[in-house]
Amino acid sequence: MTDRIPQVPVRRPFFRRRKTCPFSGTNAPKIDYKDVKLLQRFVSERGKMVPSRITAVSLKHQRKLAKAVKRARFLGLLPYTVD
Amino acid sequence: MPLYEHVFIARQDVSSQQVDQMSDGFKSIIEEGGGKVSMVESWGLRSLTYKIKKNRKGHYVRLNIEAPTAAVLEMERQMRIHDDVLRFLTVRVDELDPNPAALLSSRGGRDDRRGGRDDRGPRRDRDDRPRRDDRPRRDDRPARDDAAKTETKGSA
Repeated sequence: MTDRIPQVPVRRPFFRRRKTCPFSGTNAPKIDYKDVKLLQRFVSERGKMVPSRITAVSLKHQRKLAKAVKRARFLGLLPYTVD
Repeated sequence: MPLYEHVFIARQDVSSQQVDQMSDGFKSIIEEGGGKVSMVESWGLRSLTYKIKKNRKGHYVRLNIEAPTAAVLEMERQMRIHDDVLRFLTVRVDELDPNPAALLSSRGGRDDRRGGRDDRGPRRDRDDRPRRDDRPRRDDRPARDDAAKTETKGSA
């Protein structure tokens, strides 16, 4: 009985395309604490960092990004909190 | 000699000439210590995102430094004493970036940045929507195969 069940892989109806890391690959932007405009894209409206599972930043670059955001905050370029 | 990128913020009340004098002073400290300052870049008066020592704005200056550690430490010590310096950050870098800071190019005008539709960035919230060609096509649905098999079995 069991061997007659077709082994067709069922594709999930809402398949999400895997996003790639925005800092990997050629002509990717460099992570720099002075580039406020770039950093702002990875920070929420409240000033918190957006998790990499949403932005698809690779772990290596997320660490660099975190450092850059913290430097920018220290220099008053980015807020610690927004209320 | 190690390379450093240094940014300091001066109080908003000082004039830009005074800021230039200050950066010249810090530059000479580095040079006395046997180093050199390859670039002095003033970002002008920018508003701080939060108050620092009761200031809402500050003059930003970036220095690219190639100097022995002792000279940088001496400059930092002077900065801590200096009343007009709100804050500073020294970062050791592997290579100095000769290009002007990225935030300067975007500072051109707040108003015209919001100008047209075209200069808007890609919509981040749309990125993870499934694309049409990623949907399963009708003809590889498993259901029909299944039905065909049961039919042949019934006739046998």
